[in-house]
Amino acid sequence: MKVVLQNLTKIFPSRDKKSGQEVIAVNDFNFEIPDGKLVGLLGPSGCGKSTTLYMICGLQKPSGGKIFFGEDDVTELSTENRGIGLVFQNYALYPHMTVKQNIMFPLQNLKGKDKLTKEEMFDRTLNAAKLVQIDELLDRKPSELSGGQQQRVAIARALVKMPRVLLLDEPLSNLDARLRLQTREEIRRIQRETGITTVFVTHDQEEAMSISDIIVVMKLGVVQQIGAPQSVYDDPKNLFVAKFLGTPPINVLEGKVSGGKIYIGDEAVLEVTNVDDQDIYIGIRPEGIEPNENGVLTCNLSSVEVMGRDSSVISTHPASLNPIVRAIINSDIRIDTSAQTIKYNIKPHKFFIFNKETEERIYYEVK
Amino acid sequence: MVENKQQWKAWLYLSPAIFLLLVFTVWPIINTLRMAFLNGYGNMAAIGGATFEFGIDNFLKVIEYKQFLQCLQNTAILCVATVPISTILALLIAVALNSIKPLQKTLQTIFFLPYVTNSIAIGMVFAAMFNIVGLKQGSNIADTWGIINNVIQFFGGEPINWINAGSSYVANMAVMVVYIVWNALPFKILILLGGLQSINKQYYDAAKVDGTPKGRVLTRITVPLLSPMLAYVIITGFIGGFKEYSSIIGIFGDKMGPADAAGRLNTMVGFVYDALARDRQGRASAAALILFAIILVVTLFNNKVIKKHVHY
Amino acid sequence: MAKNVQDVMQSRDIKKISAVQTASRFLSKFATYAFLLIMALIVLFPFYWMIISSLKTLAEYRQAVPTFWPRQLMFSNYAEAFTTAHLGDLFLNTLYVGLISTVLSLVITVLSAFAFARLEFKGKEALFGALLATMMIPGELFTITNYITVNQLGWMHTFTALIVPFLVSVFYIYLLRQNFMQIPNELYLAAKVDGTSDIKYLWKVMIPLALPTLISITILKMMGAWNSYIWPKLVANDAAHQMITNGLRNAFTDTTGQANYPVQMAAVAIVSAPLFLVFLCLRKYIMSGVSRSGIKG
Repeated sequence: MKVVLQNLTKIFPSRDKKSGQEVIAVNDFNFEIPDGKLVGLLGPSGCGKSTTLYMICGLQKPSGGKIFFGEDDVTELSTENRGIGLVFQNYALYPHMTVKQNIMFPLQNLKGKDKLTKEEMFDRTLNAAKLVQIDELLDRKPSELSGGQQQRVAIARALVKMPRVLLLDEPLSNLDARLRLQTREEIRRIQRETGITTVFVTHDQEEAMSISDIIVVMKLGVVQQIGAPQSVYDDPKNLFVAKFLGTPPINVLEGKVSGGKIYIGDEAVLEVTNVDDQDIYIGIRPEGIEPNENGVLTCNLSSVEVMGRDSSVISTHPASLNPIVRAIINSDIRIDTSAQTIKYNIKPHKFFIFNKETEERIYYEVK
Repeated sequence: MVENKQQWKAWLYLSPAIFLLLVFTVWPIINTLRMAFLNGYGNMAAIGGATFEFGIDNFLKVIEYKQFLQCLQNTAILCVATVPISTILALLIAVALNSIKPLQKTLQTIFFLPYVTNSIAIGMVFAAMFNIVGLKQGSNIADTWGIINNVIQFFGGEPINWINAGSSYVANMAVMVVYIVWNALPFKILILLGGLQSINKQYYDAAKVDGTPKGRVLTRITVPLLSPMLAYVIITGFIGGFKEYSSIIGIFGDKMGPADAAGRLNTMVGFVYDALARDRQGRASAAALILFAIILVVTLFNNKVIKKHVHY
Repeated sequence: MAKNVQDVMQSRDIKKISAVQTASRFLSKFATYAFLLIMALIVLFPFYWMIISSLKTLAEYRQAVPTFWPRQLMFSNYAEAFTTAHLGDLFLNTLYVGLISTVLSLVITVLSAFAFARLEFKGKEALFGALLATMMIPGELFTITNYITVNQLGWMHTFTALIVPFLVSVFYIYLLRQNFMQIPNELYLAAKVDGTSDIKYLWKVMIPLALPTLISITILKMMGAWNSYIWPKLVANDAAHQMITNGLRNAFTDTTGQANYPVQMAAVAIVSAPLFLVFLCLRKYIMSGVSRSGIKG
């Protein structure tokens, strides 16, 4: 089932009656989610990602725009008529019911010609439980389960009626780090097996990057960029997206373009064509700079952190907006840590420049 | 030493409470037990120098007493009728109140009003509403009926003699049930609404996503999640029901029944006071202990039943 | 295999569902409000009937077809009720008993709650447990012996008999202790270090912090005096010491037949009015107090 969002907008009336300032939570969101994909809505808190999710599931009503499931306009339909499955951030498992009763609950709501027999319900429940690998726990109460297990029950409950769209609200935020890694692979696997179009919300870019087919980066209610995780990472449209994606984060420095050369401080680091002279922000991925005796960028060396396969060279630069400039290099490369300074070479495809006013990306060609 | 100083200070602060409790709470417990097991104990007689034998005569007398069985029956009927009715009504009202926004506060205040009334004073209003107004001189034919009968007649029913001389026991009890339910609603609504408001709203969102019908949400989600509060109002309802007394005085007066059948609606508590007023403290104590035992058993029984169904 | 949601949703008419959905949403809102309003009318009706009846002439009250608004407003019923039932004296008696018992009760409750919440002494837990256990016993059981005690103390037909036996409420001590316990102990220790006396600390720190509970206790205690009937009837049912409820009930013994209802209803309205006024002003405290206590008065 493809899901289409057309000019979707949500405006909350102001809480503070005096100022009368409305809050635009989601502003003119256009997006077509292809059938069977896993989509991550990503952004810092307050960016409108959860509001978008709640509008898709029908618990919040859009102020403007339309939502389609396939060809059906579901904008006016209430949530129970949309045929969606929703996994809540804190799971919302019914505490008085066993795992089995929780999973079976949505099936028991089907009425009339869609009504299932007891055996059918049990089969479906068992299948859903097996899919998320909790078929051993059917007779337990939610309070007797770990966080990860509760999460699986919640997913099973959302999946058991085979929804048209599966929605997950911050599905991993209540799990500890180890479980998070494991569960996100699990979500990926379940989504692949069922082929149900799935949308999830997260503020953790790593989580979104690792499992999504498509990510949507949002900021203050406005969609910044949509695309496959790698392509968004490799080709950010603006400084916000560049800064938001990637761990460790991108190095940001002030610089300028002058006479076809990009300067950081006094050093010309790259010669480009077709860019006018102007002040710019520069983003360099940590893997985009490598130490080289004849390098173009000189930084003050602070330390080297070795982390197994890679090491991280920490240095500082007066033009840097971050406290440090970080380079990720193969740990086989030895760095003389007694030196005061270090010179780097730059990989142009990891090197982005942005307009200083608009923070939009400036595309350049290397000379 | 701080500790030693605290010792005597604590007892100093507690002394008024402890003294009063010893006199008016602890001693009564002991004395009630003592009097209950002294055959035929009466305080005036005791002051006069009479002595009493140890035994269980008081209990036997109480149980043999026809009036006592009537009281027990009245009390039991009132409990069994009013607790379920008021609990279910209160639950429905609380759920409805919880689901609306405009008018919620106003309605909540209105539903609480019966609580801040004097049960005897408002009982007199109910008596007026059910009463037959103005009998024709020297006859039993009413020339007007009270407002309740007016309403019944408006809908085409036959007027009923609810509480006047010649009224039936069933009619009397019906009036009591209506009044007690009316009186019991506010407390139950308050507790249940408080409980409802503390239930996480996400359970309802989850049910909505799954298209759960309203009735099923009530029985499968609301009631189980509300069960601790429901258990509380049911148990306190039963305890209150077994101690019913002043609401009957409110409607029927000291006679505890219609003019031609005084005492017909007497309750367990009424029985205790009657015995007390007649200087039969032994019998009163026995009856009070029986009442206590019944309340204890019913509460334990309720607890046991409820434990099976309550989710904490 | 049965149908799943994906298939069910495939073959349906969105417009129709949309219409049904709007209609059912409207209907359920309508039904909810209708139910609540009807119940509210039923709850309010006795009050309405009390007020309009109290303003009718006896003749109008007895009419075969009832009137729902008095033709002639008989405010004189109120004057008559006031004098017939000696409501003035009853008010004063009740107010006196209510005020004295509230003040004394508050002092005793605060001191005890403070001891249980803040001081360490031997047998504290056991004593507190024993106190709580007495709450299970129905009050009727105490009344029998207290009646004898009051009699032997020579307190019959005095205000003392109405006040003293009910000064200590284990429940209020419990309620206030819980409230005191929420106040961090460091405050007490800091006050000790500064040399503040217990009483001053209670007065300056704990009482202000526990004020809502104290107000709730005060209101419930006053309401208790206003509504008490059984005990006063036993020990002080004479004219000089009568409480308001007893006086009301005694003044209008006849609840059926030929009674002068308009005057009776006027008296009931006068007695009910202070309760309503207090309720409307202090709704928050009363409702929170009641939801924690579950005890009437």
